Amino acid sequence: MISVHAKDSFDRIFRKAAQARLPLDAGDLCEIAPIADASVGVSKDTQVVVLTISSIVFRLLLILHFDEDESTRAYYLKDAADERPFQEVFLEICNLCCGAMNQELLRYFPDLGMSTPYVLNARCLPHLHELKPGLLSSYSVTLNGTVRLAATVCVCAYAPIDFVADTSALEETGGELELF
Amino acid sequence: MIQQYVLAVAASSAVTALLAFAAHKLHSAKLTARLHAKAQARIDTLEAAQAGHGAAIAERERAEQELQALTTQLRDELALQTANAEELRAALKAATEDKDQLAHQAQKIAGEAERLKSLGATFERWHEQMISLMTQNNDMHAKNQELSSIVRHVVIVSLNASIEAARAGPAGRGFAVVASEVRALAARSEELSKSYRDSLHRNDLTTTSTFQDIQAGGKMIAASLASVESLANQFHSKLHEVAV
Repeated sequence: MISVHAKDSFDRIFRKAAQARLPLDAGDLCEIAPIADASVGVSKDTQVVVLTISSIVFRLLLILHFDEDESTRAYYLKDAADERPFQEVFLEICNLCCGAMNQELLRYFPDLGMSTPYVLNARCLPHLHELKPGLLSSYSVTLNGTVRLAATVCVCAYAPIDFVADTSALEETGGELELF
Repeated sequence: MIQQYVLAVAASSAVTALLAFAAHKLHSAKLTARLHAKAQARIDTLEAAQAGHGAAIAERERAEQELQALTTQLRDELALQTANAEELRAALKAATEDKDQLAHQAQKIAGEAERLKSLGATFERWHEQMISLMTQNNDMHAKNQELSSIVRHVVIVSLNASIEAARAGPAGRGFAVVASEVRALAARSEELSKSYRDSLHRNDLTTTSTFQDIQAGGKMIAASLASVESLANQFHSKLHEVAV
């Protein structure tokens, strides 16, 4: 139901959004590699942030896996002035990442809506197949060689989906004030 | 002599008179011929002019006829145009009435879309139910974890009981059977607890994905309604501009 072009487009849209939004600074190294199954080897403490983008013909779940370990905390809480708890900071990052995907998808699907993020235990991931996804892709995401995250894109289609995304345009910085 | 002289004079006078008469006649004849030629030329000119006038009159008559035909045609066309103008005026009036009706309907659609946007609150209310369900799920997770911890403890206790029964020898044989039974029950409980934990995780995922779909769907509908409202307002403004 999801064409090869559409699968490739979802993949590129995710990569572009993750590259743009998961690192705190644009200069940080962000390596994204596909993995077979993100639920393999998760510890009991591994958590996931779930976000949904809904349209008339599909729903897309963006699942970002994280361990609240020292390196991850240190990376995302490096701004000492920011006194918010880790999860709040990380949820905002995930929200921005999903928002970037939503923005990109709006070019091809005019009616879209996005949910707020919710945190679950990673042990729920093996049950993703029960949603009968037409596309289930997992990726490992490494920031600056130390922060290890993972991501899963799960797309459930309710009608044939075929589109070719043009992800060549440079990502615009959003949510930041530009002073001239 | 005198008589001769008189006669000569008389004769010469008569000759002179005759000559003068002849000259006069000749002159008169010449003048008459010249006047006649002039008159003839004038007559020819006048005749030519009259012929020209005749042609001009004929031309004018033809032009007058054409003009009359044109006037008749123009009169007919004017009558037709007047009829058309009447029709157009009636059509314009009808169009103006239609436009007012359309503007009214566009305003109504915009108002309705604006009102329906509050449907988003309903979807958010449904989504809030997810938090309540997930709180219950988390509570069940905690209870299951506690159960799992008790089961693990029972397994250890049953193992200890088996060891103690073995130490007691033949006297502890019955106790060993009970300890083994307890261990088997603990193992089954552990399996059940794991299965229950899996069910809870599946429940977490299903609940979250369903309620997030509801929430995102609500936002999608609200955005679509906002778009309908904006289009209806644009349509209304355009109709307003046309009126001005």
